[in-house]
Amino acid sequence: MISMMRNFPPFKKYRGGHWLFALCIFFLPFLAGCPEQSETRIDDMGASRSAFDWQLPAGIPLPREPESNPMTEEKFQLGRHLFYDDRLSVNGTISCASCHHQDKAFSDGRERPRGATGHLHPRNSQGLVNVAWYNSLTWGNPALGSIEQQVMIPLFGEDPIEHGINEANFEQVLQSLQADVQYAALFEKAFPEQDDPLFGDLAWDNIVKSLASFVRGLTSFNSPFDRNELSQSARRGEALFDSERLECFHCHAGYNFSDATVDRTTTTFVEPLFHNTGLYNVDGLGAYPEPNTGRHEVTGQAQHMGQFRTPSLRNVALTAPYNHDGSVATLEDVIRNYASGGRHITSGPNAGDGRISPIKDGFIVSFSITEQEIADVVAFLESLTDEEFISNPRFSDPWQDAE
Amino acid sequence: MKSLSAIRVFQIPGRTLNDQVFIMRLSLLLLAVVTTPVAAHYIPVESTPVTVDASMVMTWRSASLIDDYDFWQIPGTQMGGHAWPAQKGFSLDEMNLNLGYRIDENFFSVIKLGSHAGGHEDHGGIELEHAYLGWVCCDDTGPWVAELGKMSARFSPGVAMHAADRWFSEAPLAVDVFFGRHFHDQGIRLWWHETAGVSAGAELWRGDAFPATHSENGGAWDVFARYAWQGGRLSLEFGGWFYSASADARADHRYGGGHQHVPVAPPGQTAALFPDVRYTGDTYIVGLHGKLGYRLHRDWLVTVETEWMRAEMDGAVHDGINRQAQLDATQQAGWVQSALNWRRQSVAVRWEQLSTDNALVGAAAPQLGVQSGLDNPQGHTPKRMTAAWSWQWRDGVTVRAEAIRDESLLTTEQRWTLGVVWKQRLLPQGASMHHGH
Repeated sequence: MISMMRNFPPFKKYRGGHWLFALCIFFLPFLAGCPEQSETRIDDMGASRSAFDWQLPAGIPLPREPESNPMTEEKFQLGRHLFYDDRLSVNGTISCASCHHQDKAFSDGRERPRGATGHLHPRNSQGLVNVAWYNSLTWGNPALGSIEQQVMIPLFGEDPIEHGINEANFEQVLQSLQADVQYAALFEKAFPEQDDPLFGDLAWDNIVKSLASFVRGLTSFNSPFDRNELSQSARRGEALFDSERLECFHCHAGYNFSDATVDRTTTTFVEPLFHNTGLYNVDGLGAYPEPNTGRHEVTGQAQHMGQFRTPSLRNVALTAPYNHDGSVATLEDVIRNYASGGRHITSGPNAGDGRISPIKDGFIVSFSITEQEIADVVAFLESLTDEEFISNPRFSDPWQDAE
Repeated sequence: MKSLSAIRVFQIPGRTLNDQVFIMRLSLLLLAVVTTPVAAHYIPVESTPVTVDASMVMTWRSASLIDDYDFWQIPGTQMGGHAWPAQKGFSLDEMNLNLGYRIDENFFSVIKLGSHAGGHEDHGGIELEHAYLGWVCCDDTGPWVAELGKMSARFSPGVAMHAADRWFSEAPLAVDVFFGRHFHDQGIRLWWHETAGVSAGAELWRGDAFPATHSENGGAWDVFARYAWQGGRLSLEFGGWFYSASADARADHRYGGGHQHVPVAPPGQTAALFPDVRYTGDTYIVGLHGKLGYRLHRDWLVTVETEWMRAEMDGAVHDGINRQAQLDATQQAGWVQSALNWRRQSVAVRWEQLSTDNALVGAAAPQLGVQSGLDNPQGHTPKRMTAAWSWQWRDGVTVRAEAIRDESLLTTEQRWTLGVVWKQRLLPQGASMHHGH
């Protein structure tokens, strides 16, 4: 064998150095290799740290906390007491919880709520679910960016009157709270840096901050969807929801199912998004009935007519009726309106064809859908119901618990 | 010119005429396989003003690199372009048809249609890869050459090569990660063309090719230089290049890049939709390459080649819901390959490595790091080893088999390939084919 190899022409003629050199060249790749180790360094600049236990699952970024009102458990607990306290109204008849029931994901099940003096609110009472992640707090006001600002509207607003607190009665309302010894302890714990947080000049400011802290702490991320426990129907509905045919996911986007979502990972300024869904078209030009014209009410700009913020869909099955004025009774009807590319009202003062609204959002286009597919989408939406959220004692009425 | 001079080197005194012809044919075949494409940049000459070349590479692979409906994302990198993963079964890796036309003494034009294997059926269409006008000065092929239109880049031998030119069916990891495998863009090139072994030039690109974008602040440019030398048994070529690209909201067009989709998924679970994370910023890549050829005997040739690239990224990654993080990255990749040719047979091996050093800073850095692929929690350093055997079965037809140990992902994959490479000059018939890209 060796002699055969020796007689093989290349070996015979080019022995020694040439072959050694050639072999060295050929086997060079086997000697290659850099010991260098790869690495990716991540610095979130403290975005994942908070003094408050948000009790969030992995993957959900923390919401923003205002520097002037950082979250504490003590403020959250004080806010919980205030949220459920009827004394926080002009005549002691309503509390925040009157229009925000825990078992309905903090909505009220009515088309539109009434205030302490009987005024009918033009808007449907929204669920209070993951409010901390919204970049605007009401249905149609782009300027309302903090819960602290928003809390003052139902407390002190005059049109409509909700809690009915005003300059004439605010001292009386405050005195009713000061008369409760339980509050003295709660206020002192919540605001230990103040000498007299319940009786001092900052009492109302403290009330607002505590209410905002409680509302901010209402978190819901434990639905069957979050646990990946979807039924077959819900899975089909999820696929439809995420499809380009239905386009749902464009506005009901991300982990909170709303494109009005911000958190600590998003950039500082995010322009609030509002959409006209073709629900009304009373003048043929896309107008919504007064006074419910959405963003237009604040800006006065014609192109903002009928634009409302996208609500989160978490626990949406509990928050009927739907849309900004509670004018759609069921989720099935909501889907049918979208399938039609808007709502067609054939009679009454609000008659008009929203399907041909010239100012409706570009994603509101008609699509074909079967009744089974509607049922599947509804099954998916129902899978967003967080049973723990609506029964969690942490969010429940403390006065009732104490009884 | 280079081919003829190379043949003369291997003429052996005392051989018969038949031997001489045989050796010449054999040398042509060998050169057809091993000639570096960059060194053989194709300019139609006046003596054969019209040339038509075709090539096709078809490969069967024993395994896919990733599962169906999954995304190929090498840990620590943000990929894009046309860097599709290897798929099990038969694949038409590429198909090219090239028309070269010498217009007159100074002008020429080139049109090329190409098709490349894609991850999805709709990405395997035919594309006009080249449509450019060239101007030569002072000689049939230079030294000064200017080209304008849609064309491939010439700055890097590795980037310029296609599967029909390489020893291996799969593109180097460095080319996949840094340039998205195929580089075709509209631009202009001016270079000193293969004169006394020296080539040097500059290219300016519109920005359609990864990693740049065609946008207000996008675009790319590069400069390059190389030197080729041949004497006796030894041939040598080495060079270097620098490439600069700018990108605005660059998407990974393999899977995303339309209107941005925000995936809906349970926390902590993989989204069904591709997380369309974009990159805005600059990319600077520097490269060095070299090739050494040594002829042992008229039938035996051994070559070793290498190319090394170092990429710097300075920008931001961001998504459709206003999350962003600053990226400062240094990534290096390269390969060493050698080949041993004996008559119509050859064996080749290639060793590749990619290392990444990324820093992501910003409130959204953890989320965007994962979704962009830049996070690398296990410190994985991708590697790949390929061994190939080729047999020149007929003029223009080569059979190729490969064994690949792929450690580009966290799990090591092994696959085998068997393929056919067809390269032919269709017009004028009987002429040898150029090996330009």
